[in-house]
Amino acid sequence: MDNFLDALSVLILFSSFVLVANKRAKSYIKTFRMQSALIALATGIMGIESFFADGHIDILIVCVLIIALKVIYIPNLLNKTLANVEYKVEKDFFYNIPLLIFICCSITAFCYTCILTIHGINTDVLNMQVVNSIALILIGLFFMISRKKIIGQMVGFLVIENGLFVAAIFSTHGMPFIVDLGIFIDLITAIMIMGIMAFKINEKFDSIDINKLKNLRG
Amino acid sequence: MKNALYVLVQLFVILLLAPLVNGIIKKIKAFSQKRRGAPVLQMYFDLWKLFRKQAVVSETSSWIFKAAPYIVFSTAIIAALLVPVSTLLTPNAFFGDVILLVSLFALGRFFMTLAALDTGGTFGGMGSSREVMISSLIEPSLLVSVFTIGLISKSTTILAMMNTTKNITFPLAQPAFIMVFLALFTIIIAETSRIPVDDPETHLELTMVHEAMILEYSGRHLALIELGAVVKQLVFITLLVNIFIPHDQLIALAGVSGLLLSLLIYVVKVILIAVLMAIAEISTVKLRLFSVPNLAALSFILAFLGFLQYFVLWR
Amino acid sequence: MEFLLPAIPAMTALLFILLRGKRLLHTISIISSILLAVVGCFITKDIISLGIIESSVLGGLFYIDSLSIITLDVVIVIALITSIYTIGYLEEELKHGKITLERLKVYYILMYTFIFTIVLALTAKNMGIMWIAIEATTLASAFLVGFYNDKHSIEAAWKYVIICSIGIAIALLGIILMHLSSAGVIESSHLLEWKTLYNNAQALNSPTLRLAFIFILIGFGTKAGLAPLHTWLPDAHSQAPSPISALLSGVLLNTAIYGIIRAVAIVNKNLGSNTFTGGLLIGFGLLSILTAALFILTQKDYKRMLAYSSIEHMGIITLAIGFFTPLSVFGGLLHMINHSFTKSMLFLSSGNILQKYNTKEISKIKGLLKVLPVTGVVFLLGLFAIAGTPPFSVFASEYSIIASIFEKSSFILGAVFILLLAIVFAGIALTMFRIFYGSNASKDVTPGETNKAGVAAILVLLVIIMVSGLYLPTQIKDLIENAQKIIIGG
Repeated sequence: MDNFLDALSVLILFSSFVLVANKRAKSYIKTFRMQSALIALATGIMGIESFFADGHIDILIVCVLIIALKVIYIPNLLNKTLANVEYKVEKDFFYNIPLLIFICCSITAFCYTCILTIHGINTDVLNMQVVNSIALILIGLFFMISRKKIIGQMVGFLVIENGLFVAAIFSTHGMPFIVDLGIFIDLITAIMIMGIMAFKINEKFDSIDINKLKNLRG
Repeated sequence: MKNALYVLVQLFVILLLAPLVNGIIKKIKAFSQKRRGAPVLQMYFDLWKLFRKQAVVSETSSWIFKAAPYIVFSTAIIAALLVPVSTLLTPNAFFGDVILLVSLFALGRFFMTLAALDTGGTFGGMGSSREVMISSLIEPSLLVSVFTIGLISKSTTILAMMNTTKNITFPLAQPAFIMVFLALFTIIIAETSRIPVDDPETHLELTMVHEAMILEYSGRHLALIELGAVVKQLVFITLLVNIFIPHDQLIALAGVSGLLLSLLIYVVKVILIAVLMAIAEISTVKLRLFSVPNLAALSFILAFLGFLQYFVLWR
Repeated sequence: MEFLLPAIPAMTALLFILLRGKRLLHTISIISSILLAVVGCFITKDIISLGIIESSVLGGLFYIDSLSIITLDVVIVIALITSIYTIGYLEEELKHGKITLERLKVYYILMYTFIFTIVLALTAKNMGIMWIAIEATTLASAFLVGFYNDKHSIEAAWKYVIICSIGIAIALLGIILMHLSSAGVIESSHLLEWKTLYNNAQALNSPTLRLAFIFILIGFGTKAGLAPLHTWLPDAHSQAPSPISALLSGVLLNTAIYGIIRAVAIVNKNLGSNTFTGGLLIGFGLLSILTAALFILTQKDYKRMLAYSSIEHMGIITLAIGFFTPLSVFGGLLHMINHSFTKSMLFLSSGNILQKYNTKEISKIKGLLKVLPVTGVVFLLGLFAIAGTPPFSVFASEYSIIASIFEKSSFILGAVFILLLAIVFAGIALTMFRIFYGSNASKDVTPGETNKAGVAAILVLLVIIMVSGLYLPTQIKDLIENAQKIIIGG
């Protein structure tokens, strides 16, 4: 079972590469949905395990929450925002895709070498899965800075939060339940606020290209 | 004695099974398009017809044009001998390994591209340049994948690889293996010129890669090239299937009945992978030529992640 | 009693949603900030006598010790003064037609939600809950920063939301790693609690804890405005309405530094010495002061200059905490308090100037002392204070920090620090000359103070910073010393 979760965690990391390789906004929302579905699957497996072991249902509730929020609600919200805001299909990223993928690959390798070569690191807890999650977070960050549209930044932020959640769930079977709940509430609020701001930016600046937000300098 | 038996069984199974795989894939594609499609055994009839027809050779071409089909076919056959269909029947010593496999296919491809240029037609040149570009992009991924499996099994002989994974319970659940499996799957799609890399049934100049190279061939030459291509496809599928979904450890019988059972299960596995490939083909569209590097990069990442997982977890 | 602290602002925000009518809104705002101040006084008295208040509500709330109460008291006082000032400010904005009644309601709701999340962050027992509350402060203040809905505000608000959310996400990674370092050491009913982590600090896994500290420093440092993660701060603090700028600069930055201090305490106890954290903190601190110094010299917008000055002072506090001797930590905590009061005073007076002159540019402010006599004097004295002139309080805390550095014979660090402070002083003095020694005002600004109550509130702050520069009441001094002992470990 442990190996199965290992395989899932590396598949989740791979889905972030697919995310970077996507060219259009609609397709990266779809990839994000797929990534969240994989995470929900992993959480579901852990939830069922823990239910049969101790009878706790927290992780199962968290799994249901992930499916409701990240697989269903947030991608729909993003699609709606995209529909209202984007009217031109234009090139979304600065460099070409194989270069971006190569940079993400070096980020992953960098992550692995950094974390796994710390002396005395506790490899029971800080194992492969956590390193995969940290690589996921860094790739989410890179995704945010390599895209020109606002939707790209929102999806990048969501990927970072996904990575954080995977790091927490794989290493210690989740944070305390109330913390998990709070994190979800924060996430939903943040995405709604960013969606509203995307509307306002589109109104004022007539585009969702971030390069146009350069008025305040110095 | 054992070697002769091995060569016979291997060639027999592979040559017989190869056109069937193509037929299954075509049939599934036809079903998805709500057509009845050609019968599954159609390719056997096509090959039989082609062998009896006269081959037309252009006067402006050189010996390469006539030699290429034979080279493609013979490299495919030799490569087929390197990948055992069943680990219960093996020769006494293996003379080649996975690097030889890759090089054999590269040799065949090299002569194919030269022959396409040989006739002087524009389609041939175009197909050659595209094919070379795609294969050079796919090469790193292929090498990293096979090296990862080689490192895990501490040998580059394919038989050793198959024997190593026999001892692992459910290899596809290991992170390194699943990544390399997906990488090899993508490589098969690229090497056998399937959608999304290249459309095997197109006749539009815009979309041809493999088809453009074989455009000038006819008669027995065409038959040899087609047979070589399907044998190459089956060899890759066998590599994928026998390493990642090993079944020989489950067989308790010995001798001939054990071998027959093993071959039967092998055939089932190949058909399964063929169905998977067909599903992959019908669910995507052909990529624009300059988007193929993106797919190649993703395939490389899959292989590289598999290597990283091996590197950290296995040592 | 302690659950009243977050309950009051929360209920006020809810009441604002239900009611209408601006007189009612103003009255409720004043009443609730006074109530909050009263509850704060009672709890401070409890802490002075008991030392720690702890209770377990919802599994994560209410741990108040001296460090929390110092930060909390500053929040409460500034909230009270800001709400007094806000009434006059919003009335003036309504009169000039810049906002509507609906927007006023939204303003109040968001402001009290913001105060609620800050109080929650400072009274949280569990570091996870503290993180959630700090993230919630970003979200609550996002629309406050973009309140005026013009191009610059929206851009500032977007930068604020994105940069702070990413920073906070990285801090969450740090908290998760801290959680990992405590695996097997702490039982599950007390996971992630600061007190338990601190008591068992030496049993935690050191390498993981060091990794966790780096992420927490960068994450909360983004929220605190440490360079090079400060890029959101000048925009956000200058585009927000002035009372909100006062809250942001005076209160929110302190909360982020509070998060860093909690983490530093645990890590230093675990590692046994402060070389690891000290190097990082001193580096970030010096970099912040340097960045602020360089940018202050070239500022054309007075609110942006005040924002850069906030970055500088946060750098000073970080440097003081990084140095980790009793005197320097005392100086750092004192500086947190002094900077909050001085900076809010400055931002509130700049609000008056903005409303009178309708421009944020320094070159267009002429004849300030004649047009706005009281505000002008306060602003002048405030600029002196924030640059570190005696007898104001900021001088006293900066002096303690410098003394502690030289006490430990780090001469180079001390010299660099003093040099950077001098550059900042020069920059602020340049601005002062430009504002106060210009030609006379043009005819279209009518002289006279418009926000009388607000001016009274600002004067209260001026008195506080003048008095506390010379004399610190013993009880407050004891509280700060207790807080310093908690951090250093006695």
